Amino acid sequence: MNAIASRFRASPYHEQGVEQDQNAQDSVLWGSQGGFGNLRAGAPPEFVVPNVPSPTAFLQLHTDDHADPNCRIKIAHGTTTLAFRFRGGIIVAVDSRATAGSYIASGTVKKVIEINKFLLGTMAGGAADCQYWETYLGIQCRLHELRNRERISVAAASKYLSNLVYSYKGMGLSMGTMICGWDKTGPALFYVDSDGTRLKGDVFSVGSGSTFAYGVLDQGYHWELSDEDAQELGRRSIYAAGHRDAFSGNTINLYHVRETGWEFIGNYDVTKMHYDGPGNIPGAPVGGYGYDARVSTV
Amino acid sequence: MEVSFAITGKGYVILAADQNAARSIIKMKADEDKIKALGSHLLMAYSGEPGDTVQFAEYVERNLRLQQMRNNHPLRPQAAASWVRRSIADSLRSRSPYAVNILLGGYDMANKQAKLYWMDYLGTQVDVPFAAHGYGSYFALSLLDREVQKRLVISFPSFKVKVVDEGGVREVELDMTV
Amino acid sequence: MSIMEYNGGSVVAMAGKDCVAIASDLRLGNQALTIATNFEKVFPVTERIMLGMAGLATDVLTLRDRFRFRVNMYTIKEEREIEPETFAHLVSSTLYERRFGPYFIEPVIAGLGKGTNKPFIASTDVIGCINFAKDFVVAGTATDKLFGVAESLWEPDLEPEDLFETISQTLMNAVDRDAFSGWGAVVHIITPEKVITRHLKARMD
Repeated sequence: MNAIASRFRASPYHEQGVEQDQNAQDSVLWGSQGGFGNLRAGAPPEFVVPNVPSPTAFLQLHTDDHADPNCRIKIAHGTTTLAFRFRGGIIVAVDSRATAGSYIASGTVKKVIEINKFLLGTMAGGAADCQYWETYLGIQCRLHELRNRERISVAAASKYLSNLVYSYKGMGLSMGTMICGWDKTGPALFYVDSDGTRLKGDVFSVGSGSTFAYGVLDQGYHWELSDEDAQELGRRSIYAAGHRDAFSGNTINLYHVRETGWEFIGNYDVTKMHYDGPGNIPGAPVGGYGYDARVSTV
Repeated sequence: MEVSFAITGKGYVILAADQNAARSIIKMKADEDKIKALGSHLLMAYSGEPGDTVQFAEYVERNLRLQQMRNNHPLRPQAAASWVRRSIADSLRSRSPYAVNILLGGYDMANKQAKLYWMDYLGTQVDVPFAAHGYGSYFALSLLDREVQKRLVISFPSFKVKVVDEGGVREVELDMTV
Repeated sequence: MSIMEYNGGSVVAMAGKDCVAIASDLRLGNQALTIATNFEKVFPVTERIMLGMAGLATDVLTLRDRFRFRVNMYTIKEEREIEPETFAHLVSSTLYERRFGPYFIEPVIAGLGKGTNKPFIASTDVIGCINFAKDFVVAGTATDKLFGVAESLWEPDLEPEDLFETISQTLMNAVDRDAFSGWGAVVHIITPEKVITRHLKARMD
């Protein structure tokens, strides 16, 4: 194990100026390092940046659709994701809709990124940004494990990601993510976004439908929730957002993080939840979640 | 930033509205009543552009009163809602439109039914079982719960709550310590 | 933000054999926020004409009232029911009256001609340019998706029940790809004898 780790150890004698042709170097390494930079040298990946005096201002002009809706590069924003900490671990629940303008581009997006057996990351904002950097985080977490013979703490992992995205601030990265896991300290949950914000907390929801999810979540949340009730709360909260928010919906993906690692609980269709509910599952009510569906059965 | 809510139940409508009157960063008043009784069985919660709100609410109040005096009979909730909506819609395309959002709740004495109408400043109208205006709607519509103030960036210290049912209009004290 | 997308919603109409169908979704939204799921956008004009309107909801309601008034006045003055084609021109001129400050509505008209039972469908733009079609017309935030699905599902001379299936599948599948439409649907089939109205069980997200 030491031998493998040492191969990836940053050399103390490594000089920045030695690599003359960075592009050639990258192409050679592509096959083995999968586009994640010079892992052997411990260097973060390098990106081609627009060749203008101020790349930051240039990228902002063309990617930030908050400031300018007519910008050329559109980044998908609609989403609902949530995660909360409780006695039995962490519940992570997300929707699966991807929109481009008013067009529903996909209803089967995986917005929970399985970083490793004990770490989950959620995806809101730029899908590619989240996917790439959380995968990259997974690599770094594994290297940490090999170097230090113990798993990385959730605090450290989230801090690593936070520092990383902060170094790209203003370049148009767009991600709002929750890093969830179980470490020595027990269940741990951090919110990290591309502004560089990193928050430790018990309950978070991110995305255009987050307000709707919070409404349900805050009402039903308490620390002593049973596993079944907690899962039901996560499912019910994402349903609420899927129903009310135009940019969220289709299906719900539900995960539960325990001491033994995360477990995928299931995939649930939002419309099926509206009319019929999740079915015969412990903690779930009989019948549908929908207002009309509930009222008409009484 | 204002919020108002309304829920219908069997034979009643309950409305709640915050009590703030703010100008810029100054809170001018903390006990403003933003729910008007438009008749014995009709309530209207209004919010929106300062100035427009009260002007429009009083305009509606006096006109509905006039209707009642002329015809010796109040408008039913449905009819009152239509009249209010039309007033807003006409005003929208005038030189200075009223920017007022409304929740109109009434008890229809003719068919013994409680009705709630959601209306915005454009004159959009829809009858719904529960409704909200302001940023509160983004939290409350998924549940219409009591935790709304907890997640709002600005929370409101007190709410005015009124009910209309068969017995007419009455006010309810809300215990905010929960 | 487009004013035509502010409230969301879509309408479609199709012609069949001695019958026409018109359908709408039920969503009323404030941009991304869904306010209500019971907002019908299709209204009866006469026993055999229906009018659907997609666009700004306040104008849907205002124009619904306005058209009712104008059709009533027409009926009283002419002492006969209005014909679908005449009604289309009434819609057109009502919209063009607001040429320089339009109602933000795209209307869709479906009806059967008197005596002949000839199917009639038409739509106009916001200022009343009429589009007569012999197959189908669409309007609303799901316009492009509706065109796509309708183009592949519609065929000539469908019987009422087949037309119902076609228009239902068209609407449901189109709005499932549109973030601003859906949350329920209502379909009307106009036949020489009667109007059949059905509410569809649709996706609620």
